[in-house]
Amino acid sequence: MNRVRPAFIWLARLAVAAIFLGACVAKIQDPAAFALAVNRYRILPGEFVNLVAIVLPWIELATGLAVLAAPARLRAAGAAILAAMLAVFTIAISLNLVRGIEASCGCFSTRADAAVSDGWNLVRNGALIWLALAVYLDAVRRAFPRRAPEAP
Amino acid sequence: MTAGASALRRGDALRLAGAGAALLAVSAALGLAVHFLRPAATRLPWVGDWAHHVENLAFRAGVPVTFLEGARMRVGAADAVVFDARIPEQYAAGHLPGAFNLPLEDVDRQLGAHAARLRPDTPILVYCGGADCTDALELALKLRELGFSDLTVYPGGYAEWVQYGGATRAGAAP
Repeated sequence: MNRVRPAFIWLARLAVAAIFLGACVAKIQDPAAFALAVNRYRILPGEFVNLVAIVLPWIELATGLAVLAAPARLRAAGAAILAAMLAVFTIAISLNLVRGIEASCGCFSTRADAAVSDGWNLVRNGALIWLALAVYLDAVRRAFPRRAPEAP
Repeated sequence: MTAGASALRRGDALRLAGAGAALLAVSAALGLAVHFLRPAATRLPWVGDWAHHVENLAFRAGVPVTFLEGARMRVGAADAVVFDARIPEQYAAGHLPGAFNLPLEDVDRQLGAHAARLRPDTPILVYCGGADCTDALELALKLRELGFSDLTVYPGGYAEWVQYGGATRAGAAP
């Protein structure tokens, strides 16, 4: 178990970072198309759609890099933010599925011919949340080690 | 991954929150810096006019919208009828395969010609030139008033269809 766990955490870090670093590229390249994808969730007031489209991909980039290569405290913060974002994305995709909106999730591609969201997006996000939480807990344990009680 | 590992002392939680705030601040700074480095012509405005975007107008009006993949399925479906809401000259220059021309301004006069293929519950897809036009939505609302219930707007319209390599037909026939 002790040999498997570090390897699992490393794989989790690589997987989560690769997915978010890959996900931010198309959004940074074409913020207008990403704004349209954000609008299609109909969760945010219109005033905030463009601001989210401008900033959110950079949060994905910074937190992805933090999970991959930062010291433990920053890595824990990055993993926590990613897990929170994934939870929000999952709720948003679920809402569109319930409402019958045949839209792409806007996760990796902003193209009009990107695959339409379905239940697999929720399964994938669930797995990513689990990996991000595993990275978070490991990083917290390293950043803030429990001090042994002092002997009287 | 024990439950105890997540129980942080208050000071540690504050340090963790500080690291998170730093990450978010760096992200926002990078996003804003790159935003201002983009050419003004391609720079997204801070606040978009989403209230009047055709997709949101349709959503508020209770008219379903579909996107490229949904449009491709409906164009190929035997039981669906596709209407092009543009003017005849634009329709003749190029339209989606199988789409009938039903210009918004001439619905009352031309709809009778389609009576044989339309039931109140026939799936109907309507489109116009692209995301900047509202003719398709207005046509859908008009058809709803006339008693048709299964209406879907394709807001990407002809422009998106062509941009993504969709087949087209020219001339006055579908």
